[in-house]
Formats: sequence, structure tokens, C-alpha cells
Amino acid sequence: MRKRLFKQRTKTYRYIGNLENPSLRDFLAGRIWLREHSPFSEELITQHIQLGYIATLPGVKKISKMNSRFKRMNYICNRCANNNPNLFVTYYCAACEQTCVYCRHCISMGRVSSCSDLIKWVGPTPRKAANHLFSWTGTFTPYQQKASKELIESINANRAHLIHAVCGAGKTEILFPAIYECLKEGKRIAVATPRTDVVLELAPRIQQVFPKTKTQALYGGADVEKNYAPIIIATTHQLYRFEDAFDTIIVDEADAFPYTHDETLQQAVTKAKKSDVPIMYVTATPSEKLIYQIKKLQGGYSFIPRRYHGHPLPVPRYESLWRYTKQIESTRLPKKLVQWTKKQLQENKPFLIFFPTIALMEKAIPLFHQLEPNIQAVHAEDPNRKEKVLELRAKKVRGLLTTTILERGITIPNVQVAVVGAESGIFTSSALIQIGGRVGRSFDCPTGDLVFFHHGISVEMDRATKEIKRLNNTELTTI
Amino acid sequence: MNTICYLCSKPLKSRLTWKQLIMYEQQAVICSTCDSKFELVKPEEQKSPDIQALFHYNEAMKDFLHQYKFFKDIVLKDVFRSEIAKALKNADAVIVPIPMHPEKIKTRTFAHIDELLKAVGIPYTHLLEKITIESQSSKSKMEREQSAQLFQLKPNSIIENRPHILIDDIVTTGTTLKHAKAILIAAGAPSVKAFTLIQG
Repeated sequence: MRKRLFKQRTKTYRYIGNLENPSLRDFLAGRIWLREHSPFSEELITQHIQLGYIATLPGVKKISKMNSRFKRMNYICNRCANNNPNLFVTYYCAACEQTCVYCRHCISMGRVSSCSDLIKWVGPTPRKAANHLFSWTGTFTPYQQKASKELIESINANRAHLIHAVCGAGKTEILFPAIYECLKEGKRIAVATPRTDVVLELAPRIQQVFPKTKTQALYGGADVEKNYAPIIIATTHQLYRFEDAFDTIIVDEADAFPYTHDETLQQAVTKAKKSDVPIMYVTATPSEKLIYQIKKLQGGYSFIPRRYHGHPLPVPRYESLWRYTKQIESTRLPKKLVQWTKKQLQENKPFLIFFPTIALMEKAIPLFHQLEPNIQAVHAEDPNRKEKVLELRAKKVRGLLTTTILERGITIPNVQVAVVGAESGIFTSSALIQIGGRVGRSFDCPTGDLVFFHHGISVEMDRATKEIKRLNNTELTTI
Repeated sequence: MNTICYLCSKPLKSRLTWKQLIMYEQQAVICSTCDSKFELVKPEEQKSPDIQALFHYNEAMKDFLHQYKFFKDIVLKDVFRSEIAKALKNADAVIVPIPMHPEKIKTRTFAHIDELLKAVGIPYTHLLEKITIESQSSKSKMEREQSAQLFQLKPNSIIENRPHILIDDIVTTGTTLKHAKAILIAAGAPSVKAFTLIQG
């Protein structure tokens, strides 16, 4: 018996020549990485290049010799696809002893220059795990059920898809069965979103649903793990570092800043997926351009006008707050705002107050502290913003003052929301709809107060209110 | 011409002024918000009478230095050019930048202190050579003070009978400058002062 086993073993494990390093393979598959910044040794990489498992390409490519009108070189960055000539810097490189060019657009991921190599994996594909566990016990509303089915149909038919669901409709859950379908077929999936906050919120939820599957959350400052993950949850920025990697790509909150404004981010998504697969979009406030794009591609479209608990969306209330900037600047809080805040404090409800600018918010914090010391403020550059939101959820903080950074992706039970200066240009109709979507998300407290404090009603405010009312009045019998 | 801030990438609101046209004043490359985050060192806050530092080492400066030296973003040499120019333009002295090890220059692809001076247009002379490759920032305070001489005099260099000013990016314990100063004094320089961008 012992002898037989030994024989079998020698038969199956024969030396078959040069083998790739598994952890290098798993890490680099689908990625496009700066050679100097890789977590592996230079020797190992050189060895794999010689074996033909790794391909190299220069970081910056010259696209035309001379721009005839301006006599300026045109370049393109091979990582972030930036081709804005203002973002390329020509300098004398001491290492090459000649002039080199680097890209400033993606410099925070390590400098890519014409003399630095980018490497990508072209060797054998990583072994894919087959046993994926789908442990989700929730139930769908009929709307979610339908949207989920439609999304899977679109994936199977290889066509683009847009899920247009109101805030709090349960968009994330709709993705779960679709992700599971893809996993079963051995596909690699990316869920990309423009906001780091959304990545932080999504990643643990997805990991919980697929406990046996490796998932990676990638955002600026995240640790890079060296293994192969079939599910990647990343900010759209991080997709610069992928090429030809994903069989399915889902862009969540597709209308959020900066995705719509930065063309290279859209190119990053296109570059990261395999060339023949479509992009799936999920959002509560699709732009007309996105709807048109989907129509043109003859993609699928799912529309969910109701929240998962079936209650209507809170309709905003308008309150005039004349000359609020001047009042706050002269260290006085407007009376209506004080009354509103006091009411929330008395009823012991958590609240969010949105401000149009950081400067105005910082002037207002000390004034709010006179009412209640336990109020915090968050903005984009705040390193503790994640902790502060968690504290509000745990009721350790009574309320938060915030900029538009918290407009989407966060859920706080029974939160009450006020927008100061709702007429400001930064509060577009989609921003206002998203802000309104923070209210009444939980099953136990499906309603709440949503106030727009304003210095004159703007078109965008009216557009948001009209859209919310339209969604609330949409016939429910269309299923 | 540059239209966005080098540090935060927001559009720059700059207006062409007569002074700029006539006096050849250089345009700012960072926005006023970023500029306000840097703290100037007041005369009474200088650590030593021989060392003149321009800025404090605060969060904004830390990010700046990181992007300049470790992300190798060479255009940042222009950020403080007007401040450096004001401090060094009228100095009647030999400007001596603290040298880098040749191998270190190869990996960084540029000599960051030389670039700062080039951006301002101040002539400088390399009188020193670095002999060790290890960096000061990786050592503790004790190790720094006990370390052996880091520099040597460049062969065939002539020391003029004029004051000398050493240039470095950051002064923390002052050991680097002390080593460099000792060599120049020994070679016959009448007086050696130092100028640094940052005081840590």
C-alpha cells in the first residue's frame, strides 16, 4: 500500500521545466505595475522577463514627433492614459544622462517616466478557485428581484446595463447574485466607484457575502496584498493600475465626482476590463448623457422607483435663510438654523448639516459648539472622517457638519438632514437628491426631516424636488 | 504656462500685472490656499545664529518634501523660488550645496538641492563630495552625532577667501551641516554659514 502511494506521487509531480513564481503570478495578473515599485525583487522580475512571462513597456510614449503649430512634443502616459501636454514634465535625467519625460497626472502612485518600465503579466493564468460560498440570507423586494434578474441577463448577453434605483432601494444587494453568477463561471469582477468612502462601505459587505472568496479593497493608501483576488472593489483611480483584467466591471455611483469630470478615469475603466465586455452602471441619479449612452449601446435598463421598505422618498422642505453667509461671518447663527438644531438635540436624533464650502463650515463650527459641544465637522481632507461617521452612527456624536463629501454612500439610522445654502452652485439637482437619500433609509425609521435652507430658490433645487415627487408618484403596478 | 496649482491641481487664478511684465517677476506656481499652509520661520525662532531656515516642518511641508524627493516630482523646485531668491540673491558668498552620493543621484534621477538653486538662478560651486551612501534620516539622533565624517573635499577645488554658505533642504540635528562646515574651515574658508529650506 505504501509503495503504491509513493509510485503515484512520483508520477503526478514530475519536474516540467521552468515554473513561474506563484505569488508573482497571482499579484501581477491583470495588473500594469511600475517595475521599481513592485513588492518583488528585481532579480525575480528579470528572471520572469527572460522566461517570457512578463512583458515590459515604457512608462511614457511619444505619440507624435512634433505638433506642427506649437512645436511641442505630445506624449501619452501608458498607465493613466493622460495626454494633456501641461501634465508632462521634461527634465534632465541624471540616471540616463539625457532628457526624459514624466507624467504628473498619476504621480501619487509612483512616478512613471519615459525611462521607467511598466510590467505586466503575460504568462500562464492564475489557478482559479472553484468553491465560492454565497452566504446571503436577505430577501429581495419584487423590484430588486426583477433588477437582479435583468442584470444577470445582461451579463450573460454581454451587453451594457444601467440600474437606476432611488437612494435606499438596496442597490448593493442587487449586485450580489450577479457577482455570484460570474464567480461560478470563473470570471474576475471589479466593482469600481469614484469615492473612497463607498469602497470602505462596500468591501466588508461583499466580503461577508462571499466569505470563502478573496476580495481586495483598493484605494489610495490601502495595503497591496500579494494574492489573486477574483473580486476587486476599487476606486476608479486604482483602475489605472489594471489592464485587460476583468470579465465583468460594475461602476457604482457612476455620476459622482470626479468620474464624470475626468476623462482619464473613464478610460481607466475601459482599459481595466477585457476589451469585449461591456460596463455595468449603478446609480440613483443617472445623467442624461449616461442614459443616452446606454440607449445607444442597446443596453439593459432596470428602474427601481421605490425604497426597499416601500415608503416614499422624503420630499424636501424649503426654508428661507436670508443672508446666511453674512450672519455666520459676523459670528451669529441664523435663528431658524438654531431652532432646527435645538429641535434635533431635544429629540435626540442624529443630524447632518451640509455646507457649500469648507470655509463657511469652519466659521460655523464654534457657533454650533455654543449650542452643544458634541458636534463635529468633516470635509474631504479630514483624516478622521471615517471614524467621525462611525461615531455618529454609534450616537457618540450628536451631529455632523459636512461638505458634499458625505452626500452618498453612507447610511445612518434615523438621521435628519439640513442643507445650508442649498442654492449654491455645488448643490446640483443630483447632489440634492443624493443628500435627500440619506434620510429615512432604515426599516424602523423610514421618514425624517429634509430641509433646504436657502438664500433664494435655485432651478436645481426645484429640479431635485420635482424628480423626487415624480419618483414617489411612479405607478407601482408596472412589474 | 502653468494653469493649475502644482500641489492641489486646482485652477490658478493669476492675473498678469505690470510689475510682472517690467520686473520679470516670476509667476506663482501654487495657489494661495496651498501657500498659506506653509509657516515661515521668524527671526527669533531660528535654531542657531549660523543657520538660516525658511520654513517650519509642518504637515504641508512634509507632503511637499515627500512629493519632491520621493515621488521625484522635479517641477516642485519652482514652488519656493521667490523665497529662496529673496534670501540668497544679495549674499556675497560662495554658495556650496550639500552634495549627494553619485549613486543616490542615479536613483533619484536629479540632485534636489542643485535643482532648487537652478530654479532661482543662483550660481553655485560643488566643493564637497559625499563618501557614505546611507541617509541621515534613517538614523537616530545618537547615531547621527557619533557618525564619522560624511564628506571630503573635492579634489582640485580652490577655496576662495570669501564667506561660504552651505545649502541643504532640511536641518534636524545639524550634524550634516557641522560635518560639512568642519571640512570647509579646515580647507581655509574664512567663515561658513548655512541656509536651509526647512527647519525640522
